[in-house]
Amino acid sequence: MSPFSLSKWARLKSPWILHFNSGACNACDIEVVALLTPRYDVERFGVLLKATPRHADVLIATGPVTRQAALRLKRIYEQMPEPKFVIAVGTCASSGAPFKQCYNVLGGVDKVIPVDVYVPGCPPKPEAILYGVTKLLEKIKEAAE
Amino acid sequence: MKAMTPEEEAANIVKGALGEYVLESKIPKPRRVYIHVKPEANKKAVSTLLQSFPCAIISTITGIDLGETIEINYHFWCGKAEVTIRTNVPKSKPKIETITDIIPGALLYEREVHDLLGVKFINHPNLARLLLPESWPENSYPLRKDWNPKHVGNLAYSLEKTITLGETRTEKNAGLLVNVIVGPQHPALHEPERFLFKLDGEIVVDVEPRLGYAHRGIEKGAERLMFFQDVHLIERVCGICNVAHTTCFCQAVETLGKIEVPPRAQYLRMIVHELNRIHSHLLLLGIVGLEIGFESLFQYLWRDREIVLDLTEKLTGNRVMAEYSTIGGVRRDLTPVLGDEIKRGLRKIKDRLSFYREIFQSDPTVELRTKGIGMLSEEKALKLCVVGPVARGSGVKSDVRKHDPYAAYEDAPFREVLYKDGDSWARLMVRLDEVGESIDIITWAVDNIPGGPFRTRVPRRMPKREALSRVEAPRGELIHFVRGNGTAYPERVKIRSPTLANIISFREMIRGCYVADIPAVLASLDPCFSCTDRMVFLDEKSGRKWVWTLNDLKARRRI
Repeated sequence: MSPFSLSKWARLKSPWILHFNSGACNACDIEVVALLTPRYDVERFGVLLKATPRHADVLIATGPVTRQAALRLKRIYEQMPEPKFVIAVGTCASSGAPFKQCYNVLGGVDKVIPVDVYVPGCPPKPEAILYGVTKLLEKIKEAAE
Repeated sequence: MKAMTPEEEAANIVKGALGEYVLESKIPKPRRVYIHVKPEANKKAVSTLLQSFPCAIISTITGIDLGETIEINYHFWCGKAEVTIRTNVPKSKPKIETITDIIPGALLYEREVHDLLGVKFINHPNLARLLLPESWPENSYPLRKDWNPKHVGNLAYSLEKTITLGETRTEKNAGLLVNVIVGPQHPALHEPERFLFKLDGEIVVDVEPRLGYAHRGIEKGAERLMFFQDVHLIERVCGICNVAHTTCFCQAVETLGKIEVPPRAQYLRMIVHELNRIHSHLLLLGIVGLEIGFESLFQYLWRDREIVLDLTEKLTGNRVMAEYSTIGGVRRDLTPVLGDEIKRGLRKIKDRLSFYREIFQSDPTVELRTKGIGMLSEEKALKLCVVGPVARGSGVKSDVRKHDPYAAYEDAPFREVLYKDGDSWARLMVRLDEVGESIDIITWAVDNIPGGPFRTRVPRRMPKREALSRVEAPRGELIHFVRGNGTAYPERVKIRSPTLANIISFREMIRGCYVADIPAVLASLDPCFSCTDRMVFLDEKSGRKWVWTLNDLKARRRI
């Protein structure tokens, strides 16, 4: 097994995620945290929540992007090592939803960084977020082949 | 002669002291007083009120653009009534004397009004930006009626003043301090907020938070939507205490339109409100477990929290966003079968509570990391006007459910949980005990719920009046101030979330603590920045000047 294929295998088997809230109302955030707890226990799929962007493969972004958080979100994305992926969790992160016309909101996460998977819902249930993660893994696998 | 009610008493005290400076005073409903004074007498009215009611706290300051003038409302809770002192300043020269020297709790509220409406508070110690980004254009105030989004243009990104914020201190020992910036992305909280800690070795000497990362502009957004649409927007101010926000907003609108809510709806609101409180408190206690390095406690608590989320889902249709309260009642009814299920589920949690109580009372890890840490004295808590479990952890009576009952709380049997210790541990114990009280309230309400309809039809247009509504959110007193203008759209919606009242005390708590205690102390405050940032933030001292000496630090150091 070459080092390249080894890292590819590891990425598919254990994606490390980073969570960033760019102006969400907390509902999506607590559902992302609920993923780690005994009922959903996402760690059994090798998914680990990391504290720093430099360790993460996948960025889970929640909330509409506010003017003040926009540059921060971009910086965090830039700090992640390649290859990197983004999941937009929640309707706000997908499109800006109810806050779309509020004066301090730019819109969805895709206004600032590229997004791979959108998980709609207000907030999406943990099962839906889990489904989004598996969709992303399929996408990575396809791209690798 | 009939005895004077507390409302009349408050109005008479201010009238007696100010004489002709009082333009108008009215008592639209029990426990609500509005006193309109001339701007030059505003400060005297406030100080008279504070002297007559020593336990009075400032709830918030609401600014409203009336076209020619800007109306400023100072809301005070005086123990038995909510007194609003109102004054008008001309929009061309919006200037008024600050009240922060008599009540330091007003620091942030004045900054908020300055940031969003452009009112200058004369002699305010620091009228810097609170919520809006630093790159926001000068003289552009989004809450003014003539504000146009074009003023902002294509202001796409903005970077806060990263380092300069920390260089404002001029103490002699400033050179010895190390600045550590935490956030906005950080592992401790799942919300974006930036803190600048000043450290002397391992000890925190000062902290300057910067809010505004989650400021979306909901108050302005609410003016654009109709009342019944606003319920959905207001629900999304905060995902954790969403029931408190909708209940508070609906109550305000119902007062506005003089709408009678069926008693069954009042009970149903109370049930969902308390389910929400249990879920929020268990969530927070779990997060504290995580912060103090006790991860199994976090996993246990969040596992038990799922029971509440399931019950909420069965009753309201959604795990987190309940979307339950609406203007004129609630959206769904409670069946007897579901009522029994709720009681069964809560019994399970009640059994587990004794286990958690034992952990919080006797576990050495919890004791070492929370007892005697993050102290807030009763006197300080009153002065800084903190609310909710933070105030009750310092022994200040502040439960809105008890002192200003709404929904069906007047009949419900429960006690106000008070701890005198004032440390992180006391704040956590308040929450743990409140979970038990909430379970009792829900069980009682399910057994005693009256029959009848759970919703009434309401008109879309609301009259030209105003209403102030208070509820006890899981984090403390939540206030909504709503004014109608005769149409289906509100003239002004003002929200004061409990975290904005509490965050000012974080500085007081964290001084003298170790760096390692920061997450645990912050978590014991249960900050919710989504609520707070919808309008705001801080970095002010309580008006007192102080210089740390080495001996001061030594005295505070724990060995």
